Amino acid sequence: MNMPALSIRNLVISKGQRRLVDGVSLTLAKGRTLGIIGESGSGKSLTALAITNLLPDGLTIAPTSSIHVDGVALPAHDARAMRALRGAKIAMVFQDPMACLNPFMRVGTQIDEILAKGALARAQRTARIVELLREVDLPDPATLARRYPHELSGGQQQRVMLAMALAGEPDILIADEPTSALDASVQAEIVALLALLQASRQMAMLIITHDLAVAGALAHDLAVMRAGQIVETGPTQAILYAPQHPYTARLVAARRTLVSDTSDASIEGHCLVEVNDVAVDYAGRGLFGRPFRAVQGASLRLERGRTLGLLGESGSGKSTLASAVAGLRPLAEGRIGLLGHEMRPGGPALPQALRRRCQMIFQNPYGALNPRLDIARALSEPLALAGVPAREHAARIVSALRDVGLEPEHAARYPHQLSGGQRQRVCIARALLCEPDVLVCDEVVSALDMTVQVQILQLLKELQLKRGFGMLFIGHDIDVVRWISDEVLVMNKGRIVDRCAAHELGAVARDAYTQRLMAARLSPLAA
Amino acid sequence: MKFLAAAGFDIGRMLIQALGIVVIVFLLARVVPGDVVDLKAIEGDLNTAQQQAMREQLGLDQPLIVQFGQWSWRAVHGDFGESIRFGRPVGDMVRTALPVTLVFAGLSFVLALVLAIGIAVGAVMTGSVVLRSLVDIVNIWSIALPTFCIGVVGILIFSVWLHWLPVVGGMLLPILIIGIDGAGQIVKPLHEELREAATSAHVRTAHAKGLSPWRITVRHLLPTAVPVALALSGLVLAGLIAGTLTMEVLFGLPGLGSLMLNAIQGRDYPVIQAAILVTAIGLVVVNALTDLLHRLIDPRLSR
Repeated sequence: MNMPALSIRNLVISKGQRRLVDGVSLTLAKGRTLGIIGESGSGKSLTALAITNLLPDGLTIAPTSSIHVDGVALPAHDARAMRALRGAKIAMVFQDPMACLNPFMRVGTQIDEILAKGALARAQRTARIVELLREVDLPDPATLARRYPHELSGGQQQRVMLAMALAGEPDILIADEPTSALDASVQAEIVALLALLQASRQMAMLIITHDLAVAGALAHDLAVMRAGQIVETGPTQAILYAPQHPYTARLVAARRTLVSDTSDASIEGHCLVEVNDVAVDYAGRGLFGRPFRAVQGASLRLERGRTLGLLGESGSGKSTLASAVAGLRPLAEGRIGLLGHEMRPGGPALPQALRRRCQMIFQNPYGALNPRLDIARALSEPLALAGVPAREHAARIVSALRDVGLEPEHAARYPHQLSGGQRQRVCIARALLCEPDVLVCDEVVSALDMTVQVQILQLLKELQLKRGFGMLFIGHDIDVVRWISDEVLVMNKGRIVDRCAAHELGAVARDAYTQRLMAARLSPLAA
Repeated sequence: MKFLAAAGFDIGRMLIQALGIVVIVFLLARVVPGDVVDLKAIEGDLNTAQQQAMREQLGLDQPLIVQFGQWSWRAVHGDFGESIRFGRPVGDMVRTALPVTLVFAGLSFVLALVLAIGIAVGAVMTGSVVLRSLVDIVNIWSIALPTFCIGVVGILIFSVWLHWLPVVGGMLLPILIIGIDGAGQIVKPLHEELREAATSAHVRTAHAKGLSPWRITVRHLLPTAVPVALALSGLVLAGLIAGTLTMEVLFGLPGLGSLMLNAIQGRDYPVIQAAILVTAIGLVVVNALTDLLHRLIDPRLSR
């Protein structure tokens, strides 16, 4: 009777000679939630895919591995039996619901595909779809079932994915980074829903995530994965508050750094950027389409040596405002004073010399580097533009790399030979070679693992202290923005709805939207 | 509402394109040295005065802009004039030739689509080496072997040596040749698109739902490839015009292509213009239809 819902023994997944998952053993008890945490590339997602035998081509499971569901070995070589298992006994929810739903099919039909495997008549299935959509808290289920995925928000899409997973009445639900592609407030709602569904249906749930807050909120037990191996397992509370393995300790410490108190030593400096009542438009679609106003009535001031945080969800206009500040996007209204130059609607573009003094760093460090240039070439571009003679380049590049914590030998590498964190360091080095007075950082750590995020944030803060540039930091992660900023502006639907000193963000009664953001945040690991 | 507006906008744009084609062809036909009167003068013995009178009668002595105006005014009223060479109403000539070309082009296109989709889907679903090689073979065939070459060889083998098919007027061989040629242009990009779609997240989700491979292919994989297939079909259909022209001439089919070629050789301006007008409108309609279909099939476009 006390058979575990799922047990994995000595799972080895290899690609050619390389072992991507190396001897993983897990047990998932009925009605419990097991979290697998680890950074990208640790093999946690592959482990999940192996359970439903959906590994990408070219990956093989070693014959010595065993996976048992309800005490029965997985019929990995019987395609028909596997199909009967998938969706019915074991259901999966993935990251990025937009990509996971078929864009050509109404969401109700997509749920119906699972129900149609059973013996229900059409009318009963339609009623069941409405019930399922209601169970995942979607408003007006009957209408919603007739919508296409692109007509739903990210949160609604993930709820539909969940409804689809529940349609087969699974005993085991595997959720692979179910909240990573979502905004912070939506993330919290989905986590709450997952917890509720797991409890009400008494499913066994396997949750795979890199986010300790998500794991902490959902899992009864945790397994920490690193480089294809499990380094530590145990009850969630024990792992998060008394980690035994040094790697786990480092993961937890990284998260905790961000919630530690930040100093707000204010240096009274002169004003670098002054934004006055600015509006930014995007051209409308089609010949007579009306322009879309992305930012409206935004004003801010950035002083030397200070960091201004722009906090908001996706689509709030924070990146648009930032690129307007950097002179990359024309204004519709208002004016921006940047280092003494004034930008107006229809006014002249930012002069070349000023562009160098205001640098921008982007979210995706891989996309921001030309894959065909080695790092030395990428870094010599800004130097050449600044008129630095070629013989001085090598020395300047070495010192720039040292400044961002890289070694001189990295200069000869290409972007794909570096890790995500190293690439972002290169982007920072490239921006700093121009000796900027203003640094605009657009979601610069969002694509990185938590431990790397903390390193990059610390690096930025250190460099700012040394060089005294003003920083405009755009982000959606409250803890990150609060930690690095002196002052935080909250944006919603193109407007700045709230502004306050970073440490006051949670303390005082704030704007309703800020409060909602703060409340939606998953409880961070207390220090 | 927005859908209708967008469709209307498309059709308007296409009509302007058709007008452009007609104007260019009108001018091109007259850039070619010699007109119909010169040709008649060579065939029979027309003296200079007779030639002059004939030009006046046909309106060929008028400035080009006047000629174009007169012709389009009549064309709008459904009067395409008479063939200068044969004295028959041009409308009648086009009406007899059009069905032959429509049947020929239509059947060739259907064959191209069936072959391309069949091979590409089969190759992705089964992963069979034979089908995967077939994708490349058909593709290279259409690139490397011009249709008129294959046509000549085909006539030699099936009509002259084997006597299976008539030398003149048979439609089977030209349809096969054009169909395979069209399939070769579609099959390769379609196969690549399907292979990429097979690794996409929503197809993985479909696998995780435990659906049958057949259902995954039809409902989840194929729709992803529809935009590509449609875009390529538009190109292939445009290419059919050139393809059918040479095939009609080669196999002696009395279609629009043969009509056009004879008219060009005889400087039979009214016939050239009418045939081109019909072809241009055909192209426009085909393009409008593929765009319309794309909008109808992809819900993200039909807002």
